[in-house]
Amino acid sequence: MIRYSPWLVHFNTGACNGCDIEVLAIKTPLYDPERFGIKLAPSVRHGDILIVTGAVTKKAGERLRRLYEQMPCPKFVVAVGACAISGGVFRGSYSVIGGADKVVPVSVYVPGCPPRPEAVLDGVLKLLEMISRGEVAECGCR
Amino acid sequence: MAAAEKLKPLEGFFTRKGSILPNRPVLEFKPEDVRRLFAELVKALGPDGFFVSTIAATDLPEEGRVRLDYFVVLLPEEETVVLRTHLPRDKPVIESVSDLVPGALPGECEAYDLLGVVFEGNAHLRRGFLAPEDVVELGEYPLRKDSKV
Repeated sequence: MIRYSPWLVHFNTGACNGCDIEVLAIKTPLYDPERFGIKLAPSVRHGDILIVTGAVTKKAGERLRRLYEQMPCPKFVVAVGACAISGGVFRGSYSVIGGADKVVPVSVYVPGCPPRPEAVLDGVLKLLEMISRGEVAECGCR
Repeated sequence: MAAAEKLKPLEGFFTRKGSILPNRPVLEFKPEDVRRLFAELVKALGPDGFFVSTIAATDLPEEGRVRLDYFVVLLPEEETVVLRTHLPRDKPVIESVSDLVPGALPGECEAYDLLGVVFEGNAHLRRGFLAPEDVVELGEYPLRKDSKV
């Protein structure tokens, strides 16, 4: 399991950039995520946790599924923001599928429009706790 | 406004002048003049003197026409003027300017894909540039007001 250094991958499936700057903020020294071993993966093929922001459009949904399939197991998904949870205000549009869980299995949802950086970091830490307690279902692809 | 003064040589093309609040000039022209207008614009300002930042097409079913707004940014002032024209809704066809102003290409592709405005002479027009596949298969133009999607 990813006990020591969960590496993050951040993917924007059609966000307004609001959630993205909050996600980027947690990687700054102010929040210092490296005290938990959390850092950015250089490639999705090195990533453990996929952070999805934005409503999943039909075109981005295909790319999201492909990115998820390229990640090594075990892998987990955190949906950040109202749009990634349910589609948000874009739900029902002709080009939007809905939330990230329509395409990939999501373990943690962080609500907000956008959520505070503390909330995003807290969501990732909650996921790590749940993993160590064995409460998160694995993707099952191993 | 200094930048709008630059458009003086093109005065003859404009049938109506207005503005969008607070102070963006809107200049209307006839759709058949579009190529001559942009050719003159390139001649007057030079290829580095402006760019087309976007082309916004709007469906106006009550008026029976499609409005086409070319957002032209004048450099180096970075002032935006809107060049506006109207096309009949049942046959929205206009000549392409993407060979004169390459920046117009994505705007033209978008207006074709989402509203069905045909830009004659643009070889890159295709469905599915922005619209998702299922909408393309239905043959719908999603930004038309009577679209079912």
